[in-house]
Amino acid sequence: MSIGSPDSTVGIEEHPASAEPVRGSAVPHGKSPTRVAVDRLRKDRVAVICAFVVLFFILIAIFAPVLTKIEGGDIGTFHPDLVDEYGFPTFASNAQHWFGVEPKTGRDNFARWVYGARPSLIIAFVATLSGTVVGVVMGLLAGFLGGWVDRIISWFVDFVLSLPYLLFAIAMVPIVESMRGGSFNLSPEEQASTRFFVLIFVLSFFGWAGLARIIRGEVLSLREREFVLAAKAIGVPTRQVLFKELLPNLVAPIVISASLSLPAYVTAEAGLSFLGVGLIEPVPSWGQTIATATNWFKADPLYLWLPVLGITALVLALALLGDAVRDAFDPKTRR
Amino acid sequence: MLYFVARRLVSALSVVLVTLIVTFALFFVAPTDPAGAICGDRNCTQERYNDIKENLHLDQPLVQQFAGYTAGIFAGRTFETAGVKQKCSVPCLGFSFKNDRPVTQMLKERLPVTVSLVAGYAVIVLTIGVFVGSMAAKRRGTLGDRALMSSTLILSSVPYYIVALMISLYLTILYQILPRGGYTPITQNPVAWFTGLLTPWLVLGLYSCTQYARYSRGSMVEALSEDYIRTARAKGLSDRVVTYKHGLRSGMIPVITIFGLDIAGSLSGAIFTERIFDLQGLGNLVLDSLSNYDLPVIMGTVLVSSVILVAMNFLVDIAYSLIDPRVRLS
Repeated sequence: MSIGSPDSTVGIEEHPASAEPVRGSAVPHGKSPTRVAVDRLRKDRVAVICAFVVLFFILIAIFAPVLTKIEGGDIGTFHPDLVDEYGFPTFASNAQHWFGVEPKTGRDNFARWVYGARPSLIIAFVATLSGTVVGVVMGLLAGFLGGWVDRIISWFVDFVLSLPYLLFAIAMVPIVESMRGGSFNLSPEEQASTRFFVLIFVLSFFGWAGLARIIRGEVLSLREREFVLAAKAIGVPTRQVLFKELLPNLVAPIVISASLSLPAYVTAEAGLSFLGVGLIEPVPSWGQTIATATNWFKADPLYLWLPVLGITALVLALALLGDAVRDAFDPKTRR
Repeated sequence: MLYFVARRLVSALSVVLVTLIVTFALFFVAPTDPAGAICGDRNCTQERYNDIKENLHLDQPLVQQFAGYTAGIFAGRTFETAGVKQKCSVPCLGFSFKNDRPVTQMLKERLPVTVSLVAGYAVIVLTIGVFVGSMAAKRRGTLGDRALMSSTLILSSVPYYIVALMISLYLTILYQILPRGGYTPITQNPVAWFTGLLTPWLVLGLYSCTQYARYSRGSMVEALSEDYIRTARAKGLSDRVVTYKHGLRSGMIPVITIFGLDIAGSLSGAIFTERIFDLQGLGNLVLDSLSNYDLPVIMGTVLVSSVILVAMNFLVDIAYSLIDPRVRLS
């Protein structure tokens, strides 16, 4: 039940019927493995639908300012006139506030919802990117150089993988905050931006190790192959062997790892924000809205269901897309 | 074999040692003023500040502070607050000045809640999860198997805390179909203990069953295609004996490995369950400590869970090499 750790069920499961293997493709040669995988992905209906859902959320996040301008609301303005004396919104939805307003404060729900897509996606993508880069470089170095470099890196991988990730994420928050001068001295904006970077740091810190281990294993077998020996024999510099010869052969594990990381990180960001450890006011985030909305769920279900549906749809689409990507890249299902 | 155990033990101990240093460093070196952080900014008097500073021995050099902290774990120490001496017995993980109590005592109080939660969870995943997985493996390729596997994929893709929160809000609070979560010590009232934990168990257990069903299906499929299974069938053994006695035994090895690590991880990973169902376990302790900057408590919990995780890792490795001789060679 660990969230955020992209370990997984890769390889151990049978592959669901979704990925129809391409039989007798027209050209038997001349296609790179990546090309073959992309072709297979395009024929997978589930993958295409999921890709559109993900694209939809990315567009929402990018055009959040435009969308809110069309609606006419914004994320920060309080509307005390739109909530009654007990804090309940006086209406469900109208032309100015498409999804109604927040209980108590009267801020616009639609604006906060579309802006809420931003931190989830930005954090997930940045953390995946940095975790992947670090993981690949570490794995390449450990596998290719061997010796004491390998021993040190492998030890670090084991170390990171044996730490309780959720607890460390929680513990990092007060430390980084006090490094920046204590939570009471920071303005809310500064505090919120600190949390943003803490989240990215923690997620990538715990994300690189698994990939590094996989890459190391792959490199160990690849470096004995003829093309690497040949490159070394004709005097190609190490850096070029690593990035020009080995890296193109590692596309599949890298893509697979990234496909597991993305939904895991969206889940983790919203989960930590839900616990009050992640993003905080005034930055709108779905996890945080869910935590507040649980107090109002009977009177104002829409307020709770908006972020719940947002996260669920985004994570589900990313996860199913990732599953299709893994099928497409898996040589075992290829005929 | 002895060499293997010794090597694993050394690497496990090195991880524990580094975790000890890291937790210490994170909390006492990185912040500019740990005494200030512990004291808080709101009602911190100069007296209290000095008191904390002296008691944490922050005037000493760092190495000495670390030695004192480590020695406390094995030998216990004494803290002094407001003129009252407080004994912190072995294993002393520090002293919470917010609560005026040793951290170990607070952890001990919360541990039974988390352990009860994890124990029920373990029972559910090992029975239902494994059973469903091996049933699917036996009937692999059929419509039922495919439907089951795609539905577990979809369910396990929905974030856990969303599922738990929705069940908690709608099935226990709004329409009281399931009993509400809560913790009563088992020694006080076993029935209340059971009903209070029933919903968290079911939610946590059934959600994770999806993972376990997939794992055990995968390894059972592999086990059932081994030669000795064919031999057993040729011998005329009944289907049930072949599946559950011959197949399950070797099919469960990888599942047990994952289970060992998962249980250790759950001790700290049950935070969401504890938060949503309002169980005052370790996870809630950490979250509460975070909100009032009770650093020694966070530090102690992180250290304890890391040690449990490393120890489980070590035990699983050893157990695995005992069961499966192929592992020892690597």
